[in-house]
Amino acid sequence: MSPARTVLAIALAALAAGCGRPRPVLHVFTWADYIKPELVRRFEREHGCRVVIDTFDSNEALHAKLQAGARGYDVLTPSSYMAAVLRRQGRLRDLDHARLPNLRHVDPDHLRRAPDSEMVYSVPYMITATGIGWLAHRVPDAEPSWTLFDRSDLRGRMTLLNDMRETLGAALKLLGHSLNSTNEAELAAAADVVLRWKRNIAKFENEQYKSGLASEEFFVVHGYSGDIVQAMESNANIVFAVPREGAPMSCDDLVIPVDAPNPELAHAFINFLHDPAVAAENTEFIGYLCPNKDALPLLSEDTRSNPAIVVPAEVRDRCEFIADLGPALSLWTRAWDRIKGGQ
Amino acid sequence: MRRSRWPPVVTAAVLVFLWLPIAVLAANSFNRSRFGSSWEGLSLRWYRALLADADTWRALRNSLVVGVGATLTSLALGTSAAVALHRHRSRLQRLHYALVYSPLVVPDLLMGMSLLVLFVALGADLGLGTVYLAHTTFCVSYVAMVVLARLQDFDPSILEAARDLGAGRWTVVRRVLLPLLAPGLAAAGLLAFTLSIDDFVITFFVAGPGATTLPVRVYSMIKHSRNLPAINALSVLMLAATFTAVRASRRLLQEDRP
Repeated sequence: MSPARTVLAIALAALAAGCGRPRPVLHVFTWADYIKPELVRRFEREHGCRVVIDTFDSNEALHAKLQAGARGYDVLTPSSYMAAVLRRQGRLRDLDHARLPNLRHVDPDHLRRAPDSEMVYSVPYMITATGIGWLAHRVPDAEPSWTLFDRSDLRGRMTLLNDMRETLGAALKLLGHSLNSTNEAELAAAADVVLRWKRNIAKFENEQYKSGLASEEFFVVHGYSGDIVQAMESNANIVFAVPREGAPMSCDDLVIPVDAPNPELAHAFINFLHDPAVAAENTEFIGYLCPNKDALPLLSEDTRSNPAIVVPAEVRDRCEFIADLGPALSLWTRAWDRIKGGQ
Repeated sequence: MRRSRWPPVVTAAVLVFLWLPIAVLAANSFNRSRFGSSWEGLSLRWYRALLADADTWRALRNSLVVGVGATLTSLALGTSAAVALHRHRSRLQRLHYALVYSPLVVPDLLMGMSLLVLFVALGADLGLGTVYLAHTTFCVSYVAMVVLARLQDFDPSILEAARDLGAGRWTVVRRVLLPLLAPGLAAAGLLAFTLSIDDFVITFFVAGPGATTLPVRVYSMIKHSRNLPAINALSVLMLAATFTAVRASRRLLQEDRP
């Protein structure tokens, strides 16, 4: 075979690998390892189809890609705020509730606080909370409260998230305000609180805090529940709690793009994920909570009593979803700059 | 004159700098703990996790298909471009040079976005095919530059001598030009393959359904996945495969010599 033909053959093979087979194909665009593989295989068997999973690494990257015109995906899992943006831009399809009988299992308490509470275009898939992880044997008297960061005896052994919305949001919750506040005075007071905390913490940190907590370099960390659940696996002394003043929660939603090639299968997939047994199995696998009220009794005792996965109801009532700030964003960035630049 | 003690020290320091991270990674692939900072005992846990991880293997397969395809195509196109640039000098060739050169300096983000916009405007279905085209696009430039450098200290009279001795045009290319260029081609091919295998930004934009490559998957795993350390195990396996390939090629080359 001539070199030119070899190249052509390989190019064609590469193209063929991307094309469909006779079985219908469902294309899911999501985070890596965000659905238990056994469940995907079960869905393939039950619906005689093939599921192809592709992954993105941030909501913004997903948005940029769709905005440039990428098509061909049937189901996406953006976070709620990004789902709202995509909806505003007319990229998401209205859901056909007749094809989604399992939506009756979705937790109404979660929907009450969700941006799309009627599930017009999105179905909640997984929720996580931000909170505090600490080492029980190093800080035996710790209380699940944001005031923990005021303790100067733990100076240099604590970290806060390097994230404007999370950290200023925590301070706003401590002061009893909404974490989506756009009030200048409230924000200024919150910035003062974070400046006070800044004197006690080792650093603002988004990644290393997991391993730092596991190796006991840090005693108290501000972090995402899923990360801290992973750290617990390495260190049995780790405790996690959502502070009693409340905290930001975030949710990834299942949505169907308007130009989905296979909307029927996409509906079947969303319905499948909210089957209580499936939702429970998925929750155990991922370590986040699928807001499905009938899945709760099916969770293992360990999972159900883990406050990092199932946030106790009285705290959950004080949690909020991070919402778009609109024009107030500049107020926030100014407050955050003052914190990062201040001594 | 006494020999300075510095060269061996610097050499050792550079080697440690280059290899220590890889050694840590290899050690961590056998660490029971999920975090590199604590050692919880020897375990094959992450290798088992990797073995069961069908998505990672599919991503690796995609990466290899694209890598091999883009390398071969860009070798053919890039070498022709280099020969043309070397042989002919004209205003048009200067433009040609600028066009071949520019992907080296265009930021990945811009290139990924503009290729995506182009593919969408053409109505192309995004998939492995578009990833292959995009990778070929940037690999061609690297191949052309490497081969061009090789051509620059290449004596064209050798080709003329071959013609004088009666070799046909194709025989000259096959028996004289290509063997002389071989080291440059090998270097260019390896460079192209490496660039293709670990490109993330451009790939993310032009990849379509079913075309997740290994880097795209690894970046996404950082956010949620409980399986992330399995990537350490995969890296060790890939390193082992690379070393074996290098050794085997050394063997073969040595056997070739008289």
